[in-house]
Amino acid sequence: MNEEKKLVLALPKGRILKEVMPILDSAGIVVEKDFDNIDSRALRFTTSDPNLDIIRVRPFDVATFVAFGAADFGICGNDVSMEFDYPELYSPLDLGVGKCRLVVAAPEALIVADNPSQWSHVRVATKYPNLTQNHFSQRGVQAECIKLNGAIELAPMLGLCRRIVDLVSTGETLKSNGLVEIETITDVSSRLVVNRASLKTCARTLGSWIEKFRLVVKVDSDAA
Amino acid sequence: MPTNKENKGLLPSGLHDLLPPNAALEDRTIRALIDTFRSFGYDHVKPPLIEFENTLTASEKNGGGTLSGQMFRLMDPTSERMMGVRADITLQVARIAETRLKQKARPLRLSYAGEVLRVKGSQLRPERMFAQAGVELIGSNDISSDVEMVVLASNALAAAGISEPTIDLNSPALVTNILADIKIDPNIVKQLRSALDHKDSTEVHKVVRKHETTLGKKADVLNGLLEAIGPAEDVILKLRQLELPDLAVVELDRLELVVNGVLDGSINLSLTIDPVEYRGFEYHTGVSFTIFAAGVRGELGRGGRYITSSDEPATGFSLYLDSIMRALPDALNPQKLYLPFEIAAEVSKALRSDGWITVTGLTPITNIAAEARRLECSHYWVEGKILSSIDQTDISPKEA
Repeated sequence: MNEEKKLVLALPKGRILKEVMPILDSAGIVVEKDFDNIDSRALRFTTSDPNLDIIRVRPFDVATFVAFGAADFGICGNDVSMEFDYPELYSPLDLGVGKCRLVVAAPEALIVADNPSQWSHVRVATKYPNLTQNHFSQRGVQAECIKLNGAIELAPMLGLCRRIVDLVSTGETLKSNGLVEIETITDVSSRLVVNRASLKTCARTLGSWIEKFRLVVKVDSDAA
Repeated sequence: MPTNKENKGLLPSGLHDLLPPNAALEDRTIRALIDTFRSFGYDHVKPPLIEFENTLTASEKNGGGTLSGQMFRLMDPTSERMMGVRADITLQVARIAETRLKQKARPLRLSYAGEVLRVKGSQLRPERMFAQAGVELIGSNDISSDVEMVVLASNALAAAGISEPTIDLNSPALVTNILADIKIDPNIVKQLRSALDHKDSTEVHKVVRKHETTLGKKADVLNGLLEAIGPAEDVILKLRQLELPDLAVVELDRLELVVNGVLDGSINLSLTIDPVEYRGFEYHTGVSFTIFAAGVRGELGRGGRYITSSDEPATGFSLYLDSIMRALPDALNPQKLYLPFEIAAEVSKALRSDGWITVTGLTPITNIAAEARRLECSHYWVEGKILSSIDQTDISPKEA
C-alpha cells in the first residue's frame, strides 16, 4: 500500500537544469510538454510515469523541499546540501554534472599585504553563511558573514567587505572584478538527494529510481 | 507595533497548547500504547520528571552522555545539588531496573509514558516538549527478545491507529566489526561513519580511495554496504554476497534471525534494513530499529539493544507522541448530549452509563435545541427523547 504513493522529484531551476535533463532522459523520465515552456507558470509537472511528478524550484530550495519530505527526492549541488546540513537528507549519488568549486576570493592587493595566520576575525560576503563559518572556525577564525543572494563579486569592490565565498566554474567573473581565488572550500557537483523517511517507507520504488540513476551515471562515466 | 512580550498567547518556541479534540486524542493514543504494553506483560513504572543530574548523564555505555546537552538543569535548594529535567525516560527506567528492582526476576519487562523536555528542537521536529511511551526488556540477550521488541512496537502502533508502519532494522555493530581490525585513524573512522550514515557515496568513495591500501578488500565491502539498503529480504541477500569478517558475519546472522522471526510473526508492517544507519545508535549493540510511517517526516520512534551500566543485556524502544500524532488523521469532535437544567439526576446518570457524554445546563433555557448547538452538542434530551441538534431526527444512544 505504501508503495503506491506518488513520488515527487524536485529539480533545480536555471543553469543546472540543462545539464540534468539528459540524465532524466536516459533514466526514462519524459516530462510533460509544458515543462519546456519558459512562459508556463506551472510549478508541478506530470511525467510519463503516472507515479512520478516533478517540481521545479530554486536550487537552494531543492534541499529544503526534500529534507522536509515535501519532495521525496531531488537534484541539487553538494554546496546546497552542505550549507543546510539537514540530517534527514541522504545523498546516495554523484551525478557528475554541474561541476564547479566553492572558493574564498579577495582582491589581489589584499592578498599581497595580508598574513592569514594572524587573523582572528574576517568579514565575508556570501550566499553560504554556514559553510563559510564552519570553514573559518576550523582554523580558529571567526567569520562574520554578510548574506547576499547574488552579485557577490560586487561586495569587495564597493567596500561592503574584503572577502567573498562564492561558486566559481571558469573564474572569469572573479577575474573581471579584480578578485583572486585564495582557497577552495569544496568541489561541487550535482547530487541525487533523497528524503530519509521516504527512502524507508517507499523502499522499493525509490530504491529502483536510485538504481536507474546509478546505471545512467555509470554508463556516462564509462563512456567518458 | 506591540512587542511580542505584550501578547499573552505567545509561548516559547517548541512549546504549545494541545487543544480539544487533539488533547483527548493524545491521551487515548498513549492509553492504547500502554494497554498494548501491559497485554504483553510489561509492568508500568513512573519515574519523576526531575532527578539528580548525574543519574541522568552518568553512563557512557547507555547513551547518558548523548542527551546531556539537551537537558534543562536547575539547582535543588534543598540538597544543593544540580538537578536535570529528563530529556529521555529510557535511562530512568534502566536506573530503576538496576536499583530498586535489582532483585526482581529476569527478564524484567517494564513500560513507561510521560513528557520529556529538551533544550533544542530540530528543524524537522521543533517540539521541545513531547510525550514518550515505551518499554525496556532487561536481562535477556536472546534473539527472541529482539523480535519481541519489533512485534510489540507494531502491535502498539496498530492499537494507536497506525496500521502499516515501516520498521527499519539497523546493525550499528556491523560496520564497527568490519572496521575493527584495520589500523586506521579514529577520526577517519568517524568521518566514514558519518558519510555512511548520510549515504553520501561521494564522500565514502573519497575516503575509501584515499585509504585503499589499508582497507584492502574491505574497500569493496564498504562500497557494497551503501547499495545494500531497502526491503529486508533483498538486503540480507546482498549482504551475504559481501566478504565480511567473521565478527560481522555474527551480526549479520543475528540480523537475519530477527528478520525471519518478525516476518513469521504475521504482523502488518513493511520491514527494511539499513546496515549503515548510525545516528543516535552510538551506544547500541546488536540489532536496533527506527520506525517510520508513510507521509510523516522524521521518525515515529526508535529502539534497540544496549548494555545497562550494571552490564546487563537489555533492549527496548521509545515512541514519540508528536510524530505519532502527525501520522494519525485529525481528531473528530465527539458526540455530546445536552441535558436541560431540569433533568433528574438518575436520568442523567443512566444516560452516561449508556455511553453518552453529557453536558448539563446550569440554568433553565427555553430553546434547548439552539442551546445544544451553541455549546457544540450533537444531540439534546427533551422529555425522555434524544434528538439530533442538527437535523432534529430521533436517535437512540445505541445508534449514536
